[in-house]
Amino acid sequence: MNDMRIVERDVDQNDVKIAAKGVQVYYGDTHAIKDVDVDIEDKTVTAFIGPSGCGKSTFLRCINRMNDTIDVCRVMGDIHIDGEDIYDSKVDPVQLRAKVGMVFQKPNPFPKSIYDNVAYGPRIHGLAKNKAELDDLVEKSLRRGAIWDEVKDRLDAPGTGLSGGQQQRLCIARAVATEPEVLLMDEPCSALDPIATAQVEELIDELRQSYSVVIVTHSMQQAARVSQKTAFFHLGNLVEYGETGQIFTNPVDPRTESYITGRIG
Amino acid sequence: MPVFWLILIVLAISAVGFVVGRRRALASADGDSRNLHSLPIYYGSNAFMKSVVPALGLMFVWLLVQPLFIDNRISQMIPEAEVREGSNIGLVMSEVRRTADGLENAVNLSLIDDETAKNARIELTDITQRLRDAGQVVTNQITQPVLRAAQAYRAMSQASNLLMTIAVLIVAALGAAWGMMEGQKAFRARNTVEQGVMALLIAAASVAILTTIGIVLSLIFNTIEFFSLYPASEFFFLLEWAPSFSGRGGASSLGIIPLLWGTLYISFVALLVAVPIGLFAAIYLSEYAGPKMRSIAKPLLEVLAGIPTIVYGLFALLTIGPILLSVFGDDGLGWMQGQRAVLTAGLAMGIMLIPFVSSLSDDIINAVPQAMRDGSYGLGATKSETIKQVVLPAALPGIVGAILLAASRAIGETMIVVLGAGAAARLSLNPFEAMTTVTAKIVSQLTGDSDFASPEALVAFALGMTLFIITLGLNVFALYIVRKYREQYE
Amino acid sequence: MTDAAMTPESARPTKSLTHEDARTKKRNASERRFRAYGIAAICTGLFFLLALLAAILSAGLPAFRQAVVEVPFTMTQEQFDEAEEAMLKTAIYTDYFITSLSDTMQAEGVQIEFDEDAVDRLLGKVGGDLRAYYRENQDQIGEQIGFELAASSRVDRYLKGTFTRDDLQSGNRFFMPEDFDLIDAMQEAGLIKQVFNWNFITGVDTGVDNPGGAGIGASVLGSFFMMLVVLALSLPIGVAASIYLEEFAPKNRFTDFIEVNIANLAAVPSIVFGILGLAVFIQFAHLPQSAPLVGGLVLTLMTLPTIIISTRASLKAVPPSIRDAALGVGASKMQSVFHHVLPLAAPGILTGTIIGLAQALGETAPLLLIGMVGFVARYPDTFVEGFLEPNSAVPAQIYNWAARSDAVFTEKAWGGIIVLLLFLITMNTIAVILRRRFERRW
Repeated sequence: MNDMRIVERDVDQNDVKIAAKGVQVYYGDTHAIKDVDVDIEDKTVTAFIGPSGCGKSTFLRCINRMNDTIDVCRVMGDIHIDGEDIYDSKVDPVQLRAKVGMVFQKPNPFPKSIYDNVAYGPRIHGLAKNKAELDDLVEKSLRRGAIWDEVKDRLDAPGTGLSGGQQQRLCIARAVATEPEVLLMDEPCSALDPIATAQVEELIDELRQSYSVVIVTHSMQQAARVSQKTAFFHLGNLVEYGETGQIFTNPVDPRTESYITGRIG
Repeated sequence: MPVFWLILIVLAISAVGFVVGRRRALASADGDSRNLHSLPIYYGSNAFMKSVVPALGLMFVWLLVQPLFIDNRISQMIPEAEVREGSNIGLVMSEVRRTADGLENAVNLSLIDDETAKNARIELTDITQRLRDAGQVVTNQITQPVLRAAQAYRAMSQASNLLMTIAVLIVAALGAAWGMMEGQKAFRARNTVEQGVMALLIAAASVAILTTIGIVLSLIFNTIEFFSLYPASEFFFLLEWAPSFSGRGGASSLGIIPLLWGTLYISFVALLVAVPIGLFAAIYLSEYAGPKMRSIAKPLLEVLAGIPTIVYGLFALLTIGPILLSVFGDDGLGWMQGQRAVLTAGLAMGIMLIPFVSSLSDDIINAVPQAMRDGSYGLGATKSETIKQVVLPAALPGIVGAILLAASRAIGETMIVVLGAGAAARLSLNPFEAMTTVTAKIVSQLTGDSDFASPEALVAFALGMTLFIITLGLNVFALYIVRKYREQYE
Repeated sequence: MTDAAMTPESARPTKSLTHEDARTKKRNASERRFRAYGIAAICTGLFFLLALLAAILSAGLPAFRQAVVEVPFTMTQEQFDEAEEAMLKTAIYTDYFITSLSDTMQAEGVQIEFDEDAVDRLLGKVGGDLRAYYRENQDQIGEQIGFELAASSRVDRYLKGTFTRDDLQSGNRFFMPEDFDLIDAMQEAGLIKQVFNWNFITGVDTGVDNPGGAGIGASVLGSFFMMLVVLALSLPIGVAASIYLEEFAPKNRFTDFIEVNIANLAAVPSIVFGILGLAVFIQFAHLPQSAPLVGGLVLTLMTLPTIIISTRASLKAVPPSIRDAALGVGASKMQSVFHHVLPLAAPGILTGTIIGLAQALGETAPLLLIGMVGFVARYPDTFVEGFLEPNSAVPAQIYNWAARSDAVFTEKAWGGIIVLLLFLITMNTIAVILRRRFERRW
C-alpha cells in the first residue's frame, strides 16, 4: 500500500449512526445481499469495497430506501438510523431521503440552471423561508461543494453545461443543500478524471466534519485515501469490516487479502 | 380490356425468352451447369427481364403521355368562340372527352355503328339523344365543333392505341431475342440480373418521391387554375364561405378564413380533451403503474387508435351529438341548436387522439434517463415532485413535438368533421354552434356533380394545398424537435 | 477548499422519521392527488373505449336480426290450378294467404280484421312470393308447410322498440296506424319470430324505399378487391424499397431525401391522398371512377410508408452475422439478402403488412373523393369487373348509410361498423399471433 499514513490516522470513536442487522436483498429470484450486519459511525467516512456485482451499491441504496423505486427488489432485515427502523411502515421514504442524501455514480444534474439544481432540495423540503435565505443556502451549499468560485458568475447557466468534475461537485452541493445527516456516495469518482477525483476526495474529507459519509468505490487506493472504516463485500456477503488501516495492512479474512492484493476481483 | 391482354402477351413473350435463354446457356455448356458462369436460372431471368421491363415501361410511359399529347392537339382544334362566357378551355375539353367516351360506348353497345360515330355531318340533336341513351352524362346540347373535336379525339386515341400495341410487342420481342442471344456460358448473367434487380429496388424506393411529387403537382396545377378563375386575395382574406350551387363563377364567395377557423377551433377542442388525458395516462403508465396494469391498460388504450375514423364520425353524430343536445339543447340549457357542433366533433376527435398522445408521450417520458429520477428521489423528492419538476421539464421538447403531431392529425382529420361538425361555415366563438372545416369542404366540393373545371370544385385543390402545407410544416417541425430531443439522451 | 470548515453544520434538531411532519403530510397529499389524476385519466380513456363499444354493439346488433312471420300453409291441387288459370294470379295467392293467416290466428284465439293492403305493407308482395314458391316446388302441393316471410323494416323497428305508436303522426303508403294492431295480433298468435338477418351480410345496398333490405355484401366485395390491389402492390413495392434503403442504399442526399419523404408521407392527411387519386388517376390517367382499382391504388400509396417503416424495422432486427455468414461462403450481396435476410425477416414484414392493410381497410376519406360512395346495388359479374366496375367499400357504405335520414339506415350503419371491426379484429389477431409465434430474439 502506498499510503501508510492511514495507519496512524487518528480514528475517533464516534456514535453509531446507522445500524444494520440481518439485511437480505432479493432482485426477483437473485439473492443480492446475504445477511449483512454493519454499524456505521457518525462523522466518519466509511468505504464499501469489493468486486463488481458484490452488492455494495445495492446495500448502499438500502440505506435511503432508493431500492423502493425498483419494482422487483425486496429488502428484509433491520436498518436503524439514530435508533429508528427506516423500514418501519410509518416511515416516509421522502423524509428519510431528506435526512440521508445521495450522490450517484454518474453526475446527474437536472436540465435546469445551476441555481435551480441546488435550490431544488431546499424548495421541495421548504427549508428556506424567503428568497434571500434560499440564496444564502445555495451559496453555502455551493461553497461546501467546493464549486462556488467556478460558478458564482453563471448561476443561471444550465447545470448540464459544466464539465464532468464540476457536474459531480454540483451534485454533491445539491445533496448537501437539503442539510442531510448522512451522505451516501455511489462511486462518485468513477466518471471523473484524476484531477477532478482529487478535488472530490478532498471535499469528502471535509464533509466528514459534519456528516456520516458512506462511499462505495472500486478503487482500493481511494478507499485507503478517504475512509476511516472499510467494509469488504464479496458475492453479497459482508466479508470483513473494520478500521481502514487494519483492513489494508492486516486483513483477517483470506478473501479480503486476495482482493486487496489483486488475486480476485 | 386491351391493356390487360397486352400485358398478358408481353408476359408470354418473356416467358418464352426465359425458357429459351436458359436452354441455350445450358446447351452452350454441354448441358453441364458447372461450366456456366452463373446458375442456369439467371440466364433465363436475364432474357425475361430484358423483355418485360422495357416493354411494360414503354407501355406505361405511353399511357401517361398519350392523353397529354392528344389533349394538346385537340384543344388547338377548338375555335375561340366555342369557349363561352364564364367557361374556359378546360370545361370544353372535358365536354369533348365525355362526348368521345359517349361515342365509344354507343358503338360498343351497338346503338350506332362505327361509321356514324366517325361521320361529322350527323344531325346534332340526334347524336346528343343517342349518347344519352347510351348512358353517357351529356349535359349540354353537343355543338358541331365539339362533336368534330370528339371524333378527332376518338380517332387519335384509337390510332395511338394501335401504335402502342405494335411498339410494345416489338420491344418485348427484341428484348427477349437479345436476352436469348446472351445465353452463352461465359456471359455474367447473375451480375446482369442483379443489376436489373437493383434498378427495380431503387425504382420501388423512388415511389415515395413520386408520390410526393404527384401530390405536389396535382395540388399546384389545379390551385393555379383555381387562382386564374378566382382572385387569390379573396380566397385568403374574404371572411365568407358561400359557394353558389347554381351558376358558375362570379357569385361564389370562397374565403378560406371561416374554414380555417372551424378547423383550428375543432382541433383545439380535440387537443383540450386528448392532451390532459393522454399525458396523465402516459405519466401514470410509465411512472406509477406496475407491469401488470401496464400490460392491460396500454393495449386497451391503443385499441382506440386502431378504430377507423368513420366509427368515430358515427359515434360523434349518433351518440355524442344527441347526448350533448340533451344536456345543452332546448330541453336542457338551451345553448345548442343541433347535434352537429364544434364540441361534438371536437370530443370525438379528442377521444381518437388520446392513444396517439399517450403512446408518443410514453416513449418520450421513458427516454428521460433514470439517473435524473434517481437524483431527485435521492434528495427526498416525492414521485409527483420528481415528475413535475424534473421529468416533465426534461421531456418538454419531446412532448411539445408529440402535441404538434397530434395537432397535425386533428387538422387533417376528415370523417369525424364531415359527420359531426356540420356544413355551415361560421366565424364564431360558440362551441355549441355547427362549423365546418377545410377537410369537410374538400369532400363536399369534390363529391357533388359539379364539373372539375369550375372554381367551386377547383377551390378544393387550393384548400388541399393549404392543408398540405400546414400539416407538412407541423410534421417537419415536430419530427425535428422530437429527433433533437432523442439525440440529447442517446 | 476551506469553505466547509468555515461554516460548521448548524445543529438542526434531529427529527423523528416515524413522525410525519406537516409539510410532508401536505406533500404526500399532493402526491396522492397527482396519482389520482393519472388513474382518472386512464379510467376516462377506458370509459370512452367502453362507451364506444357499448354504442356500437347496442345500436349495431339489431341490424343482424330480422323479424319474420311464419304462417302454416297448405295449398291444395285445386287451389293451385284455380289460381294459375285466373287473370290476376298473384291476387288469388294473396287471398289464399290472408285466409290462411286469419285462420291460424283464429285458431290461436286472436280476432282481427285486416285487408290485402295491410299485408302488403307489413310483409311485402306475398302473393308473388307464394306463387313463385309453388311453381318451383310443385311436389309440396297438398302438404302443410311453414311459410316464412320477412317483415318490413318498420315492423322490425316496432318490435325492437325504436319505432312506437307515438312516432307515427299519420298513416302513409308504408304504414298505417291500424297496422300496429295487426302486428300485435300476429305476435300474440306467436307467428313472429326473430331470425339472423343473412340478407344484411350477403345483400346489396337498396334505395330509400326499402331500407330493411339493404345489405353490406357488395361493398364487402368492393373492399376485398381494393385490398387485393393494395396487397399486390404495396407488399412488393414496400419490401423492395425497404431492402434498398436498409441493405444497399449508400448514405447520400438521395437516400436522405427518400427517408424524409417516407417519414412525411406517413403523416400526410388521408384526404390529400384522395385529392392525389382524383387528380392523377381519374383526371389525368382517366381510370374509371369509383372503381376498386383506383381505390386500391390510392390506399396503396397511403399504406406504403407504414409498410416500409415496419419492414425496415424487421430487416434491421436480423443480425449482421447472418449476412456475413452468407457472404463468407461466396454468395453475392443480393443473394445474401434474398436467400437469408428476407426469409428471416418475413414474419415481421407480414405482420407489418397486415397491420397496414387493416389501416387501409378502415380508411374512408380518400374513397369519398374518388367517388366510391355511389349507390351500387349489384355484385360484379366477373373477376376483372370486380376491379373496374364502380363499387363501394365497407367504410364508404357506412358513411353513405349514416348520411341518409331513415333510422333503419342508421342501424345498418352501426351494423356495418360491427362487420368492419370484425374484419379489423381478425386481421390484427392474425398479426399478433404471427408475431408471437415467429418472433425471434437474437
